[in-house]
Amino acid sequence: MIHFERFVLDNGLTVLFHKDPTTPMAVVNTLYDVGARDESPDKTGFAHLFEHLMFGGSVNIADFDAPLQRAGGESNAFTSNDITNYYEVLPAYNLETALWLESDRMLSLAFTEKSLEVQRNVVIEEFKQRYLNQPYGDVWLELRPLAYEVHPYRWATIGKEIRHIEEARMEDVRNFFKKFYTPSNAIMCVAGNFEAEEVKTLVEKWFGEIPGGIKPPRMLNSEPAQESFREKTIEREVPANAFYYAFKMPERRNPEYYLADLVSDALGREKSSRLYVKLKKEQKLVTDIHAYVTGSLDEGLLIISGKLADGVSFEALDEALFNELDYFRTHAMEEQELEKLRVKIRTSKEFQDQGLLNRAMNLCFFELLGDANGINMEAAFYQKITPEMLRLCADQVLKRTNCSLLKVKSVTHAG
Amino acid sequence: MPDRKIEPPLHVMDSLSFVNPHIYDIAPNVRLYFMQDVPNETARFDLYFDAGSAKLDEGVPAFVNGLLFSGTDQKSATEINNEIDALGGFLETGISSENAVVSMYCLRENVLPLMHIVHDCIENAAFPEHEVEELLRDRQQKYRVNLEKVSILAQRAFQQRLFHSHPEYGRVSREEWFSGVSRTELKRFHRDNYLGGLTKVVVVGNLMQDEIDEIIDAVGNWVKEAPCHFPGDLQNLADRFHIEKKGALQTAVRIGRMLFDKRHPDYLDFLVLHTLLGDYFGSRLMSNIREDKGYTYGIGSMVAEFHETGYFMIATEVRKEVTEDTLKEIRVEFERLQQEPVPEEELKLVQNYMLGQLLKSADGPYHMIDIFLSAEMQGLDFEFYNEAIRHIREITPQRIMELARQYLNWDDYTVVTAG
Repeated sequence: MIHFERFVLDNGLTVLFHKDPTTPMAVVNTLYDVGARDESPDKTGFAHLFEHLMFGGSVNIADFDAPLQRAGGESNAFTSNDITNYYEVLPAYNLETALWLESDRMLSLAFTEKSLEVQRNVVIEEFKQRYLNQPYGDVWLELRPLAYEVHPYRWATIGKEIRHIEEARMEDVRNFFKKFYTPSNAIMCVAGNFEAEEVKTLVEKWFGEIPGGIKPPRMLNSEPAQESFREKTIEREVPANAFYYAFKMPERRNPEYYLADLVSDALGREKSSRLYVKLKKEQKLVTDIHAYVTGSLDEGLLIISGKLADGVSFEALDEALFNELDYFRTHAMEEQELEKLRVKIRTSKEFQDQGLLNRAMNLCFFELLGDANGINMEAAFYQKITPEMLRLCADQVLKRTNCSLLKVKSVTHAG
Repeated sequence: MPDRKIEPPLHVMDSLSFVNPHIYDIAPNVRLYFMQDVPNETARFDLYFDAGSAKLDEGVPAFVNGLLFSGTDQKSATEINNEIDALGGFLETGISSENAVVSMYCLRENVLPLMHIVHDCIENAAFPEHEVEELLRDRQQKYRVNLEKVSILAQRAFQQRLFHSHPEYGRVSREEWFSGVSRTELKRFHRDNYLGGLTKVVVVGNLMQDEIDEIIDAVGNWVKEAPCHFPGDLQNLADRFHIEKKGALQTAVRIGRMLFDKRHPDYLDFLVLHTLLGDYFGSRLMSNIREDKGYTYGIGSMVAEFHETGYFMIATEVRKEVTEDTLKEIRVEFERLQQEPVPEEELKLVQNYMLGQLLKSADGPYHMIDIFLSAEMQGLDFEFYNEAIRHIREITPQRIMELARQYLNWDDYTVVTAG
């Protein structure tokens, strides 16, 4: 059980406090309800570029990192298609430094041209390092627009192309800040060995006066139901053929999300999973195979990906794979298999909850879903799931017509 | 309304509290370390073997490590994986130059049943022929994919040059390793270095005394009787080497030299120099090469250790066109540290940062055992970290300049680029 208290400031900032008397450290985690899905199609990659700019100094504090480091702490952030999340981890006795820094950049950024210029370059190098200069690195840049036709999940958080990042202007930065970086669009969690009153007082002191703004309404194009199988082949100078099957699955707030999550576990989380055993160990079609879910807030994807063994064709894999999927759709699993999936989930959750930062991040995320206490409800959801519920979910999700397939075909070096 | 221009008052960490693990002598040279004080249901156990990759060529140590759970005469790999998963175990096997480790993460209620499975698999590992073939095939594919990465190309060449005096430490995988391996050789290596090679056991979790006894009973017959010996006189080849990779958008850079381990009188002060140069977000290298010039997504330095020595390295991936300028700037940063005293303000920041990070690295039982093991590898104990606090607090700009003059000489460094 993860305990927390919730209070909301007059300006709309939601604050969660999680007490942990066993640690000398503190975490301040701040989630902004903005991600790559909120970008316009001709300015993609912007939410993530903006995340970099949040470290470029704020209205009253020229340098974000130095004061935090002087307080013995460190900070980082990540952007997804759905959210942007910032955190500071520092010795508990310096909590106020983190609140001072985080509140000042919520109040306003410094918006310096130098910072924009440098971070554009840094993000372009990140684009190359992670997506372009890696074997199979551009797969998500190809798979997203295949699986989504209209929803903004059709581009990756890094952006569609480097040009969009090169073209980012200061005016875009200011507008983005004004629209999305308001207290009413944020959820913060303070975690550590504190008293609730002391946290309330400090948070009120530093965040209380920030103008609230209006939580921006979100009107995204919803993806039409997929009705037919899609397929795309790309040729790359990579040593092995690779496959990425992407099945549409329920959005994060739908209770059926948990079913699809378990379906993916059964298929390909561990070395005892169905696809690993059948396609790799028994039929030797692949060298590697995994199944997992994207976990996105809107309609997500259940991915089955891997690499073909030398000499095996995409067609042979496809046939064997859909045999397994069809079996799943028509035969409920044994209770024993389900119990195996449950204990794995219980164990990994126990390890995740061990870390203070994880707890703070997850509390914020569940609050975004509707209620931070959801973090304590998940286990019960998994307990209630039956083999027949999983079969029904598999029957819905694992249909060929619900699937987009990206094949990466290995071609030899041109010279 | 608070004055936002004024930084809130700061406190600086002045002492750490440690929790010592319980220590059990299993054999004259083999101990079990037990960290019991865990405030939740998680547990972990690690088995260390004197079976590192420096021990034998042709990939044998890595293949044996990768095949430990691939079957016994009684059980197939799939049956083993099923049993482990049914108990919620997360198994990890790993190998470094000097040892091999098997780790299990699980709920404490499952520690003993999982320990018995691990014991049975290692004790009776049969190295089935089809499993050996499958492993070689998978590793060959992974090897080929890796050779497409500039970071890996640079790392391989770097390793060969950094550990130049001891080729067994600089050994990197080769295509011919995957064309076949003798099962007899695998079995021999397994018998000699696992069944008689256990050097250390670590258990974290809220377990009972009799459970620890049961673990000791299970693995006690694997202990390595003789003490282990490792070399302490590794020397790097100080030169510049480039690997051409057609079409690469970025160049991977690795720069380093052999240095020393925790017992050297300069070690702790060098850590401050290393942090200042490249081990935090505001470091000299990050400020110059990422935040000022935008050449890279990241650059950092690292201090790593073996049992009897250690090394220092800098790693980054930069835009292809600025490779030479990056090397020049790293060199400029070396020279600045040699010639200009570090400003008080910057030193203060680094000191505070390091003390805060030390506090974090001692937070909770898992971190606690990890810092303990890191000191224990060289025969030290928690007192090493008290010593660290003293050194961090007392270091002077003059001392940092002295160290930079001694250890940051460009001509002593192995420099590798790939791209």
